[in-house]
Amino acid sequence: MGKFAVLQFYALLKREVLEHRNIFIGAPVVVALLLLVATTWIAMQIDQSQLAEGLRFVSVLFDGLSPLDMAPFVMLLAIPFYLTLYVCSVIYLINTLYQDRKEMSVLFWQSMPVSNFQTVLSKIVAIVLVAPIFYVLIIFAMYLIAMVWLTILGISSDVDLVGIGYLFLAAIASLVLIYISTVVTGLWLLPSVGWLLLFSAFAKKTPLLWAGGVFILVGFLEDFIFGTQFLANWVASRTSDPNQYLIFEFQSVFERVFNYDTLFGIVVGSILIAGAVFMRRFTD
Amino acid sequence: MSNIVEAKSLTKNYGSFTALDGVNLTIPGGAISGLIGPNGAGKTTTLKALVGLCDVDGELSVAGRDPRIARHKLMEDVCFIADVGILPKWLKVSHVIDYVEAVHPRFDRKKAEKFLSTTDIPANKRIKDLSKGMVTQLHLALVMAIEVQLLVLDEPTLGLDIIYRKEFYDRLLNDFYDGNRTIIISTHQVEEIETLLSHLVFINKGKIVLDSSMSDLSDIYTEVLVDADMVEQADALQPLYVRKLLGKKSYTFESVPREQLKILGELHTPSVADLFVAKLKEEKHG
Amino acid sequence: MKGLILRNRYTLLVVTLIVYMGVLVTEGMITGREARVIEFENPYFDFNSNDFEGFRERRNVNENEDEIFV
Repeated sequence: MGKFAVLQFYALLKREVLEHRNIFIGAPVVVALLLLVATTWIAMQIDQSQLAEGLRFVSVLFDGLSPLDMAPFVMLLAIPFYLTLYVCSVIYLINTLYQDRKEMSVLFWQSMPVSNFQTVLSKIVAIVLVAPIFYVLIIFAMYLIAMVWLTILGISSDVDLVGIGYLFLAAIASLVLIYISTVVTGLWLLPSVGWLLLFSAFAKKTPLLWAGGVFILVGFLEDFIFGTQFLANWVASRTSDPNQYLIFEFQSVFERVFNYDTLFGIVVGSILIAGAVFMRRFTD
Repeated sequence: MSNIVEAKSLTKNYGSFTALDGVNLTIPGGAISGLIGPNGAGKTTTLKALVGLCDVDGELSVAGRDPRIARHKLMEDVCFIADVGILPKWLKVSHVIDYVEAVHPRFDRKKAEKFLSTTDIPANKRIKDLSKGMVTQLHLALVMAIEVQLLVLDEPTLGLDIIYRKEFYDRLLNDFYDGNRTIIISTHQVEEIETLLSHLVFINKGKIVLDSSMSDLSDIYTEVLVDADMVEQADALQPLYVRKLLGKKSYTFESVPREQLKILGELHTPSVADLFVAKLKEEKHG
Repeated sequence: MKGLILRNRYTLLVVTLIVYMGVLVTEGMITGREARVIEFENPYFDFNSNDFEGFRERRNVNENEDEIFV
């Protein structure tokens, strides 16, 4: 059973990537290209000597720092990718259990011996664990191109390039941290994941409207019935501090995962995900 | 052989519309069973209920399992093809085969490829670029490569050219059916399948109107071309349905012994199509 | 019981949301979480069946304020 189950799950993940190539691969590639084009264009506007000055300044700034120290700075360059991933994740999750019902292909998927639980689980794994791999690889490709470009620039401007090597190592470290950040954030935001999946499975039309509308309604109902605003409190805790979305050092990973906030989020998320799994049986 | 489908009092409502109204159904294993009914009669709902794609109330057992509880386990033994061309449009042909191979424990890839080699379907094309006939060919090739006990087909040849339709039934009978497997097929094109069937079910307005093996049919139903002078006697025997045929009247009787009917005129067993019309008219007149 | 919850998509959704809200509110009350995040101007938004007297007071205050401008 073990090997077959693994192969089966791999096929489910492969389906998700193929079905949503735009989200997994297309979007980050577009962002990478835009960033490269934008920085190239900016660099062309600046005078050559000013560019060399800038490079010297940066290499002095980072002098003496280890790659792990530099990694957080390099991570900040990936912010456009984070934003893209989060927007794409919302689009993916709200559509994934809705689309195949709309196009009737759900009859094919459900005629295969794959349980509703496996189906929903594969979608969560695909967006939380697999999508970031693609993003990280594309960011890595972008960093490589940037490194090569910087090296050429450095050579032509006669700047000391020992720092480039450290920068490269910092980039590698940052990629690992980026991946860990997105996975931990995915766990931390599991209630949102579950909420979107629940309405993706539930709605006959306009699942996003349902998800948003009912969320606001539940917020008001809580106040109306209990006089409390715990839901709003949780939303505030998840949106108040952007730093929570990034993990800048390996030491903090354990604490970020095994804290009450995240663990309670996993419990609540599981309730909503269970709802989505059961909701999947209503295909009509 | 035991019954592969046992259904009691299946009910399904869509809002105020009653799709299934207390459906009782028994289908013996190894049968080729036809589910015949007009549009909106409940054929699709019944078949979807059998494969767990539609939640219904009532007692239901398919291949020994309740489809509502153990759909994914049931799908190891049952396959389903629907008329709406349900293969995902954005997938490539080769990807669909890869997927089914990885996901279905009883799929034989070599068999599927053998079936597909006799078609014109290219492995690299996306499903949306295939003709409807090819999509059905592909789906059937996949299904025939799986060791299933039961195949459920919901109007599988709807909208297909006659060549594809003939090939479909040929394949089904010659390559798939082995006497042990069961096929349930719904259609409103009765004439096409009547020679294939061993078991017959009529459904109308969510209710089962007839559920019988084909061999029993000739014992129960008789069509008589009644001579003009015997018309009164024929009427007295309470026919199911009467129609004009070639200047004479054709009477269809249910459960009247043939000995009694011999004197009225020429006897024969009604075709499935005629019987279907007769049963429907009976429903109308109560 | 299971038949009731899984009767149709609407009952399932409602039950899921009830469990969800129940867990949130229970957790908040047990851990003494900060219960007020947004204060509403309109007392009707703050209607709390436990605090009917408070609601009446706030409503009367607002009505009196309106009178001044009229």
